[in-house]
This record gives sequence, structure tokens and C-alpha cells, in this order.
Amino acid sequence: MEIHARWTKILKDMWNNRSRSMLVILSIAVGVAAVGMITNGSRILKRDLYGAHLAGNPSQLNIYVSPFQEELVTAVEGAREVEHAEPRRTVGALVYDQKNWEDIRLTVIPDFDDIPVNQLTLEAGSPTPSIREVLLERQSAAGLGVEVGDEIVVEMSDERRYALTVSGIVHDLYNSPYAISGEASGFIKMETLEWLGETPYYTYMQVSVSENQTDKEYVLATGEMIRDRIIEPAGYRVSRTDIPGYGSEPGEHWAQKPINGFLLILQIMSVMAIFLSGGLVINTVTAILTQQIRQIGIMRSIGAVRSQITQMYVVNILVFAILGLILAIPLGLLGAWGIGLLAATFMNFNLGPIDISPGLLILQVVLAIVMPVAAALYPIMAGTEISIYDAVYQHGLMSKNAEKHGLINELLHKLRRLSAPILLSLRNTFRNKTRLAFTMVTLTLAGAMFISVFSTRTSLTHQISEVARYVNYDAAISTPGGVNKYTAEREALRIPGIEIAEGWALGSATVIHSDGVEGTDIELVGLPYDAATIDPDMIEGRWLTQDDDWQVVVNEDLLDEESEIHVGGDLILKIDGMERTYQVVGVTSKHLSGERAYISYSTFGKITGRQNEADTIRVRADAGKISNASTQDELADLLEERFENAQLSTSSADTQHAIFSYFTSAFDIILLILIIMAAILAIVGSLGLTGTMGINVLERTREIGVLRAVGASTNAVRQVVVTEGVVVGLISWLLGAILSAPTGFVLGSAVVNALFQTDLAYKYSFIGLGIWLVIIILIGVLASLAPARNAVLLTVREVLDYE
Amino acid sequence: MTKNNGSKQTEQLISLRDLHKDYHTAAGPFPALKGIDLSVDRGEFLTVIGKSGAGKSTMINVITGIDSPTSGEIVIDGAPIHAMTEDQVARWRGDNMGVVFQFFQLLPSLNLIENITLAMDFRNSYPLKERKERALHLLEQVGIAEHAYKTPSKISGGQQQRVAIARALANDPQLILADEPTGNLDSRTAAGILDLFEQLVDQGKTLLLVTHDEDIASRATRTITIANGRIVNGHVDGN
Ligand SMILES: Nc1ncnc2c1ncn2[C@@H]1O[C@H](COP(=O)(O)OP(=O)(O)OP(=O)(O)O)[C@@H](O)[C@H]1O
Ligand SMILES: [Mg+2]
Repeated sequence: MEIHARWTKILKDMWNNRSRSMLVILSIAVGVAAVGMITNGSRILKRDLYGAHLAGNPSQLNIYVSPFQEELVTAVEGAREVEHAEPRRTVGALVYDQKNWEDIRLTVIPDFDDIPVNQLTLEAGSPTPSIREVLLERQSAAGLGVEVGDEIVVEMSDERRYALTVSGIVHDLYNSPYAISGEASGFIKMETLEWLGETPYYTYMQVSVSENQTDKEYVLATGEMIRDRIIEPAGYRVSRTDIPGYGSEPGEHWAQKPINGFLLILQIMSVMAIFLSGGLVINTVTAILTQQIRQIGIMRSIGAVRSQITQMYVVNILVFAILGLILAIPLGLLGAWGIGLLAATFMNFNLGPIDISPGLLILQVVLAIVMPVAAALYPIMAGTEISIYDAVYQHGLMSKNAEKHGLINELLHKLRRLSAPILLSLRNTFRNKTRLAFTMVTLTLAGAMFISVFSTRTSLTHQISEVARYVNYDAAISTPGGVNKYTAEREALRIPGIEIAEGWALGSATVIHSDGVEGTDIELVGLPYDAATIDPDMIEGRWLTQDDDWQVVVNEDLLDEESEIHVGGDLILKIDGMERTYQVVGVTSKHLSGERAYISYSTFGKITGRQNEADTIRVRADAGKISNASTQDELADLLEERFENAQLSTSSADTQHAIFSYFTSAFDIILLILIIMAAILAIVGSLGLTGTMGINVLERTREIGVLRAVGASTNAVRQVVVTEGVVVGLISWLLGAILSAPTGFVLGSAVVNALFQTDLAYKYSFIGLGIWLVIIILIGVLASLAPARNAVLLTVREVLDYE
Repeated sequence: MTKNNGSKQTEQLISLRDLHKDYHTAAGPFPALKGIDLSVDRGEFLTVIGKSGAGKSTMINVITGIDSPTSGEIVIDGAPIHAMTEDQVARWRGDNMGVVFQFFQLLPSLNLIENITLAMDFRNSYPLKERKERALHLLEQVGIAEHAYKTPSKISGGQQQRVAIARALANDPQLILADEPTGNLDSRTAAGILDLFEQLVDQGKTLLLVTHDEDIASRATRTITIANGRIVNGHVDGN
């Protein structure tokens, strides 16, 4: 088959410059694949997680009620506004996993044959457990290593142990899975709960409304209506109504807000990747054209018109684009599959087919084609715009420009004492400023992103340590129903090694607005003004003092919800049906506790009628500092034993380190994904540097020949090139370091906001800065090794031919 | 196609009238051509000689349309080169003029055949299927058909210049212009190239050749001397 000579030229040029062609193709592929990976991964996650969630008919409202029986639910379902109401009771217990006792929550479901909301999906066994049987959530079953037919031993709060047969394994999308909460989950009948020694009653209901299911205001109003018109008139007390999830809208998956926020961050990063690869394409195409200017002139001297030349190079780019696309589509799919798999394991959902939507396919095609062509259009136009005369005879013109970078040269003059090869490298570095700028921008962005990910991690850790100030104990044990504070504290202090024991009282309250309307439900904490197990970070005002009675300190979470509240102002709280006015004296930082108000212990006793009672005892071994994890565990064991023997509590004790370890594992997966994105950016950056170095070496063929001719050793030539690569890397590192301060804040805030809907306590990561320094030096060396090798291999003949 | 064999046209092929060319330099305009008047007939073998810096290359670049004059007229075979756009000149040149450079200027990635067919490709002058055959024929004519599939870097400078001449002939132009085509070659190789040019003149082509070498000039039908941007001797007949 005959082929037009101009296409032969393009194909042969591509082939003769394979590594550079590869570079352009990879640049396109990485950017387009990143977009594909994130866009498709997001779509698959949303399709499979949210889809399955919706398919199980999610409820929109939880109503927490004093102990009730099923009849109350029948009454609630009688309301026209209510579609379904399902009674539930969840009790905490311990389960033995052959090694340790782990937490398990057992949820009572009245009728396993008819679960109208938040449906479970059977994975194995039978869907209807009989008495003494349990359905285990699949992640819990896997975590505990049990199968259908096995027995699990649970220990109830009264210390008695029972064997439950696992009659089935189910999939539950409506609660935080084992991988995140670290708490196993099982479902039982009420009869089983009774057999487990508990009184048979329900404590909350899951409600789905008949209409406006996604209207938050409506759903909450319906909750209030149910409370005021049905539940409370029937003699029950509603402690709280809320929409399930972390800031979710009604009917949304419980983690939809944080997940979507996180996906948005990834989306933004993928857009950055495509911009960076566009920059790379511009850089390389400019270099190709610069190198081909004389050839363009020759072609025009033998009859080519401008449009023919333009067409040739556009086709050249199109071939790159198509090859890049061919790589990008499967790469993107692979990445999407990876993201999907990670998310599915973590969030406990089933991954559907890893397909690609026509929309995304079109987007990828358009991006892969349009991005490089758009990026290359200007250099192509500029390249063909040069007159034939200049193209053929004045090719050297370009380098003349390079001589007039006065400031930098002057600077270099001052650095005269540097060795000649290094000086040469430095001068070379600034030879082509546009190209340098592009490389610099790419590497700087990659670096800033990389450091930002680390700063986000450091900030999260810092955030946790800030939160730890509010959980400033070694161990704590809850005393459900309340025990005498002084007895309990004395008992705790009898444990050898315990220096501080503090009883706190906990209750709930509702904020009443100045117009009498009910506002946020909050947690009310009664504690000694000089409590040692809290080290509040005061944002405004002051902490409680000895003389405070009707004074309260609120946290910032409450301030966000209730704009009326301010330091020095009044706060009306409804507690046990009684409204009272308190004075706000201070605001603490957010601490992942939800809305809270702190009040003096004695006042708490007065207003709740629970004088001298404590709901939790918090202990410390050392007044000066928090103990290490193993000491905390020991203290917790001793505390459990002591309180059990003294018949104060049969609960298991918490330790500070255990509370935070779950957070850390959730962060780690998020940081892993962020680091993958940063790595993609770093790859794009190093591709850019490799390209730039290759082009620089090519353009300097003659100069290198001269260097060789005057006796420069192979090593000296290599050193010139590698030094240049490292210098570019180091400059970009410096710029990246500066840029990473704001970008780290933005990324960290976005992540923290997505995950906790709270503000970031920003901490810059100097470790990240250090790691990036090492990486950038490696990139600088690696990216220049191949070009350096080429430079070393240049023969005198090639140098002379180069002209 | 505007190609012709000169039978029914006038004798005159090239006509330059009061040609000026100023280069823009940092020190202001520099006049390289200061009013050139010249007419070349069909079938002439014209050499242009002169000292370095006299303006020879400038003149040939202006005639080929590779550079444009500051003022004056260039009419070749009735076509007003000075009034055409760069693309128009490119097309015209592709069809009617073969240019040979001092440094050969072959495309490094293409083999010798492709270097020649490329010229046909841009002008779409011969059917795709015939181009290769024609290129081979031209390579034969310049005596290096055995290297047809090599790239330019694999052959000697003299051989490269032969390819450049073959390429100049690709679209069968009536006029060949060459700026010091032997300037980069040793005298024996140069002599071979010169033989080639003489063959072309024998075939009826018109040849305009810039050279430093008075020996070469002596083989031309006519030689003009340029000094300081002007033609200093009008007509010197060859021997
Ligand atoms: N691009 C340019 N810019 C400025 N001046 C130029 C340029 N090209 C040529 N000149 C000047 O114009 C004059 C004529 O140059 P030209 O190249 O035509 O000389 P030439 O006769 O071909 O010389 P040589 O025999 O060395 O090739 C010279 O003085 C030269 O310095
Ligand atoms: Mg010259």
C-alpha cells in the first residue's frame, strides 16, 4: 500500500523519537486516566452504595423514646404523615472472638419476615432467627470468623454469658460497619433479648414519612408532630429525634455527606492532573516544533503550504492523543476498580460491574483529543508562522533570546566560584524560560499537593490530639442508671496506681429560642469546675469557676447550630420538661462530641433531681500526664473488675487510645487515596522533567560536543545534565513548599469538613516537606539520567550533523 | 499544471527589475541588494559570483521567494513572485522551481526515496502509485539509486547533494536554483555535481547557480558578478 510521504515523515519522526513520543502519550494517558478513575470510581461507588441503600427503603428519622412496646408504633403508623415506623432496641454486649472480648451491638427486630425500612439482605442461612439465634452482619461474621451454624458467646452487662447460634448472615447498609466502628453487629428477636436477661421493651423507632421524604424541614417537623401528638400524650418521653447519619439529608446514606465531600476533593485533584498533563503536552510539542523549524522551512521550500504543515502536526498530535486514549481508558477502569474495591471493603457494600458510562467515555475521548490538540495549537501555529527564510537560515535565532536573561545571568556571575559544570548547568536551567516555567509549574503543583496530603494527615492527628484534651483520661467506665459519685470515686481510687477519679453526670436538654420555639437537642454535662480529666480549649470567654451555678460553657458545635447563643448572653434550656435560663460564660473548641453544654456538677444535681449521682467515672494514673496504651488497658481491666465486685457497674471500660484508634484507621484509608492522587501528580511532574531534560540535551547537542571536544569526561557531561535536573527539582521544591502552606490548608479543611463538618486546626507537615525533598531529588536524578546517557553517547559526527 | 517545456513561450524566463533588499539590523536597515536588474532566458546556465557578503545569497533567496524583496519586481515565467503571498509562492515554487541548498537540507527521518516523493506529495503532482517509481528514476539519474532506502545520515555529503538535486527535479520544474551547492564538498565530488548540472542544462532546464568558484563559473553559459549589492558586469560570455 502506498502512503503519502508526509504521513511517512510524521510516523518515522514519532518512531525515531520513541521516548519523547511515549512521554507525550503517557502525559495524555495519565491525565485522562486520572479523570476516568475518579469520575468512574465515584459513579460506581454512588451507584452501588447509594443504590443499594435506597433499594433497602431507608428510614428518614430516628425517634428515641423512653421504654415502649410495639403498640406505640402502631399508633404512630396510624398518622397519615407516617408511612412506616419500626421499633428497635439496641443493646451493647461483648462477644468472644476466640482471643478477646469485643464489642457487639445486638439489635432487636420485631418481625424478621416483614422489615419495612432499612432492610437487611440475607447472605447465608435463614432470614428469620428463632429464640437463642442471631443474624450476624456479614463484616462482623467475617471479623469474628464465624459461619452459619456456629455459636457465638456473648456476655451481657450483668456478666452472664450466653451462647447464640448464628442462624444467618445478613448485609446491613444502614449502620457503620465493623471495619469502621470496630463493633460487631447482630440482630435478634425480642424473645432472645428476654432470654439474655433483659426486660423486653423498645427504645427508639425508625420512621419513614409518607411524603416529602427528602425535605429535611418537613421530616423534622413530622418528628415533632409525632412526639407532641402521639408519643408524649401516650405517656412516653422523647429524648431525641434526629436524621440518621453524619449530617446526612433525610434518606441519604449515613456517610453520604463525607463520602461526597471526599469524592469532590478527588475530582478537583483529577482536574488538576489533566491541566498538568496539558502543560506537559504544550511543553513537548513546543520542543518538537522548535526542533523541526528548519525542517518546516525545507518542506515549505519544496512546495508545502502552511495548512499542509499545520495538518501534519495536528495529525501527529492526534495519533499521540489516540494512543494516549487507548492507554487511558483501561488504566482509568483499573483505577476505578481499585477505588471501588477499596470503598466497597471499607464501607461494606457490593461492587457491581466495573463498566464505563457512555458519558464518561465521551468525556475521556473529548479530553484526550481536545486537550492535547488545544494545548498544541498555539505552538503549531507559531511554528508554521515563521518565515521560510528564518526557518531555514536563522534557526539559531531562538537561542539568541536566551542570552538576554540579564538578572539571572548576573546572579550566576556572582556565583562564579561554583565549579564550571555546575555553573553551566545553572545557566542551562534558565535557558528556555517558558519550558522551564511549565516544568516548574507541574513539579511545584505536584509537590504542593504531596506536602498538602501530609499536612492534612498531620492536621488530622493534631485535630485528634486537640479532641483528646476533652477525653483527658486513661480510662473511664460508665455507670448506667447512675451511682453515688463519692462511693464510685472512692472505689476507683482504691485501685493501686490511680491518682485521680472523677464522677461526671450526663443528661440531655433542649435549647429553647427566645421566641419559645424548641431548637437543638444537646448533651448536658455536669462536672466539677476543676475537673482534671478535661483540658478545654477555650475559644471565647472562660471555663467554669467555683462560684458558677447557673453559668454554662457551650462548645462551638452548639454555636454553629444556634446563632442566638453568645458569650455573656442567656441560654434557655428545657431539662425534664422544665425551662430555665442560664448564662453563657465561655465557648470551647469543637471536639467531635456533638452539641454540648457544661455546667457545675451540683447545679446539674439540683435541676435533674439526681443529686450525688454519677453516670461515668473517669480516672487517671498520673495527674501530670496521660499513660501509655498498655497502662490504659490495665487500668481499664482493674476498673471493670473493681466496679463489678462493688456492684457499681458491669460495663466495660473505655480507654483514650481505643477511642482514637478507630478514627485513625478511617483516616488512613482516606490518606491512602490522597497519596495515590499525589503520586499521580508526582508521576506527571517527573514525566515533565524527563521531557524537559531530554529536550534541553537535544538543543544543546552542539554545546555538549564542544564540551567533549575540550576534554570533558563522560562523568563531567553526565554531571552537567544531572545537576540541571536536580536544580530544577530543588527550585520547584522551594516553590512547592511555599505553595503548600495555603493548599495544605485548603485540602485539610476540605477533608475535615467532609468528614466531620467541622473546622480544621491546621498544622503544616514538615515531615511531608522533607519526604518531598528526597523524592524530588530522586525525580531530578532519575529524570535526567536517560537524557544524560544520550548526551554521553553523542558522537562527534552526530554533533556536527546536528548543525 | 502550469508546467511547460518552453516551446511556445517567450525566450525570457526570469526578469528582475530594480530589486532592493534591506535587512533590519540593530544599527538600522542594511541594504544588501541595491537595485538589481537582470533577465535570464530559458535554457541558460547562469552563475553568480562575487565576494563573501556581496549579496549573492540574498538575491537567490529573493528569487526563490524564500525571502521577500524590500522593493522591485521579480517575474518568472510571467508570474509576479514579488506580489504573491508566502503560500502562493510555496505552491508556485513547488511546481516550477527546484531549490538546492549549500547544506543539502534533506529531512533526516525519511529515506532518499521519501525525501523526493515528499515534494510530489505536497504538490500532489504525480499519482500516488507512480511517485516512488519516479523518485527511483531520479535517483538513478543522479547516480545513487543503490542507496535509495538509506536515510541521509548514512550517505556522504556529495551523495546527499545528489539527492537534493533529485529532489529539486521531483516535480519536473523548468528552473533550478542553487546557492553554493558545492561549497561544502571537496573538489572531486564538486566536479561530479557540476557534471549533473550540465546534464540538466542539456535537458533544457534553466539553471541559476551561486558560487565562489570562478572555475565553475567558467563552465556556465553566462556569469554575472555581484559586488556590494549590485551587478557589476552585465554580460560576460562563457567559453
Ligand atoms: N539576516 C540578515 N540580517 C542582516 N544582514 C544580513 C542578513 N543576511 C545577510 N546579511 C548581510 O547582507 C549582506 C549580503 O549577504 P549575503 O548572504 O547575501 O552574501 P553572500 O554574497 O551570499 O556571501 P557569502 O559568499 O559569504 O555567502 C552581507 O553583508 C550580510 O552580512
Ligand atoms: Mg551566500
